[in-house]
Amino acid sequence: MTMTPRLRKFVLTAHVTFAVGWLGAVAGFLALAVAGLTSQDAQLVRAVYLAMALTARFVIVPLSFAPLLTGPVLSLGTPWGLFRHYWILVKLLITILSTIILLVHMQPISHLSRVAAEGTLSSTDLRLQIQMVVAAGAALLALLVATGLAVYKPRGMTPYGWRKQQEQQRALQRRVLQP
Amino acid sequence: MTERKQREHREITEDTHMTDTNRDTDDTRVRLDRGSPPSTPRWVKVFGIIALGLILLVIILHLTGNSFGGPMGHGMQLP
Repeated sequence: MTMTPRLRKFVLTAHVTFAVGWLGAVAGFLALAVAGLTSQDAQLVRAVYLAMALTARFVIVPLSFAPLLTGPVLSLGTPWGLFRHYWILVKLLITILSTIILLVHMQPISHLSRVAAEGTLSSTDLRLQIQMVVAAGAALLALLVATGLAVYKPRGMTPYGWRKQQEQQRALQRRVLQP
Repeated sequence: MTERKQREHREITEDTHMTDTNRDTDDTRVRLDRGSPPSTPRWVKVFGIIALGLILLVIILHLTGNSFGGPMGHGMQLP
């Protein structure tokens, strides 16, 4: 099913907005995670982990789910398809994995926020603080790779895409040859 | 395909993904003549190997208890 140009523009705008917003939010999250790990100011550290929990819950999680919806809608509503080109498939996998990893990390984020609010953040939480920096850095890298794939579109068609293209070509030839 | 349909198809592929090249269609058209599906591109293989390596690394770190959160799952056993 092909979308109308107007609908396509709308979904594309939404998709780019969500994806870029997610990237920006993760970059902000990384800055906070680094500040929380390195700062000596107890009040700042407390504020940082509270802000990280809020950002993750109300910005990053919704922004991670939105492209999972708009991306497939955009692909399936255009001749690109969802499973026809490797770059679309890889981008989808990156988005799914990033969302899963984010959801797995929501519990540690909440834990850090809770102990920070109670003022009981101790050296035993250091591993978790480091984990936040590593996870945010890895997420940022993964999202940059996904953005690169969307812009560069490295060539390569999946066997499914190739079969579909052949079917379309055959159908086109039949239509042309018919009087 | 009518001219209108061709133009619409071109518009869609151009608009949808911000920048457009016709490399994909050209590339696959060449391979179509061979009558066999195109082989997996090198960049996909490289991506696959990196992903597999990262997954194995995470599994090994968790199994050996060297992951950041420890084997008990991010220290969530804390009250």
